[in-house]
Amino acid sequence: MRNGHEEARVLLTVGQLSEPLTGRHWDAPAVTREVSARAARYRRGGLRAGDRVFLHFGNRLEVFAELLALWRLGAVAVPVDGSLTRVELERLAETVAPRFSVVDDATDGAIARALPPGVAVLDATEPLPPADLPEDAARRDHDALVLFTSGSSGVPKGVVHTHASLAARWSALRGELGLAAYARTLCLLPTHFGHGLICNSLFPWLAGQDLFITPPFRPDLLLRLGAMIDEHRITFLSSVPAMWRLALRVARPPRGGTLRRVHCGSAPLPAVLWERVRGWAGTPEVFNTYGLTETGSWVAGTSAGEFTPADGLIGPPWGAILHVQGADATRCAPGEIGQVWIESPALMRGYLGQDELTRQAVQGGRFATGDLGLLDERGWLHLRGRERDEINKGGLKISPAEVDAAVEGGPRVADVCAFAVDDPLYGQNVGLAVALTERDDAAVRELYAWVRERLAEGKLPARWWLVDAIPRSERGKVSREAVRDACADRPPLDLTRILQGR
Amino acid sequence: MRQRHRERVLEFLRTIQKPDRPLDSVTETDSLVESGLIDSLALLEIVAFLEDQYRIDFAVIGLEPEQLTSVSGILDLIEREAR
Repeated sequence: MRNGHEEARVLLTVGQLSEPLTGRHWDAPAVTREVSARAARYRRGGLRAGDRVFLHFGNRLEVFAELLALWRLGAVAVPVDGSLTRVELERLAETVAPRFSVVDDATDGAIARALPPGVAVLDATEPLPPADLPEDAARRDHDALVLFTSGSSGVPKGVVHTHASLAARWSALRGELGLAAYARTLCLLPTHFGHGLICNSLFPWLAGQDLFITPPFRPDLLLRLGAMIDEHRITFLSSVPAMWRLALRVARPPRGGTLRRVHCGSAPLPAVLWERVRGWAGTPEVFNTYGLTETGSWVAGTSAGEFTPADGLIGPPWGAILHVQGADATRCAPGEIGQVWIESPALMRGYLGQDELTRQAVQGGRFATGDLGLLDERGWLHLRGRERDEINKGGLKISPAEVDAAVEGGPRVADVCAFAVDDPLYGQNVGLAVALTERDDAAVRELYAWVRERLAEGKLPARWWLVDAIPRSERGKVSREAVRDACADRPPLDLTRILQGR
Repeated sequence: MRQRHRERVLEFLRTIQKPDRPLDSVTETDSLVESGLIDSLALLEIVAFLEDQYRIDFAVIGLEPEQLTSVSGILDLIEREAR
């Protein structure tokens, strides 16, 4: 039985780190030197165990050294999306109360102005003097990582993982999947996402496998994907379906025969696309994976023997017990559709500063995913839809309530409703119906500028409709599907014409 | 001929550009992504446009990303590969 105060053992038996795009490369001794120097810098700045630190950058060598330095000192890393607006960042800073903010040379300088006074800004690219590696101060029950997801109430949710929950995820993956296929892992996903950071990057790298890290979602890199796999003898990469919609069209397949396994997750993978990825990758081991930030990402996938790709097929659990329950919390029979709940030692500790929300999400040790699915006779999970309000834009989960909250305080806004619209590239995108007290172009321009200041670019509504009113039930509830259906009959606003005053 | 292609390409770019960035502010050699006119993933839509409208088969000819970064790069590609 492990004691929660046992050392977490932040080991530095890591693999090599490489940036294929720049040619930069750190071996394990170089990583140790970088971690030591950064830990000494944090100590000089007065960092203490339990302090939280924003990492405003990612997908480069330095982010992994910062992460391990923080963990070694018992502090908490909070990777954030570098494209957040000042308003979004101010809100996160209120929740997180960071001690430091770490930036790189690409970070928007406005970030420093969005932080409360007293938060020191550090440059991750600044040369540092050598230092000795500090003693490992991390404990298993310490918070290690906070990752933000779009909140259903409009308030971002900070998912808190401890060293114990992360270790449980990695241990389960190693047991279920082995390490051999991950010997040379490529990460094209953002490292401020659970999928990209916890599973695609840290799972193999902290187990001594080599990690190749690129800027996220860069189409020019996807166009060269086959060549990059060959050049660096990549054995594994993870992905989201939207990546393949581009890569399959324009990237030549790898020819070197090194690619052994591909994961695809964060959004539904249609069977047709799945088969095409298998053909392109030249391996049958293309696993559709399922997971949420709250479960430490990958918690199930198609790893057990031969399978035929099918819409919604996920597979057996990886280090978790999957439960499918009816609305009355009774267990569904095999084949019967119900709500998917997950029980796992890798479950988050909770949402940062939101105990009530945590109690709603985790009941009796089980996490309510908000997804609908069934377990077949083998215990394999098949997804059949979702109950939670969410727009899945190519793997980026956007809460429509967060979009509503950003828009509703805007000039001349009487009412608003964000909803998912179909998108040929992303699968889904953000649609917006808005009722304005004045319906001229100037009002739309003013509102657009307002929203741009409050929502990161990836969350901006792609299609807008002006409506007379948002239909609500007697209890004030809005049906986003009904609003979407009502808008679907009409063309959206010509934003380009309106915003350019033509 | 190039002028006609140019008009078609610009007309298409107007349908995928970010709504608050004027197309007129981008020169023929400016990077479409770096200038902020289009999202980097919109490159896919340019690929689809060239396949549909000019029957350029990227699966056959391969693709150098630099070919699609500017209006002039796209026009050069059309002149070289359109069928």
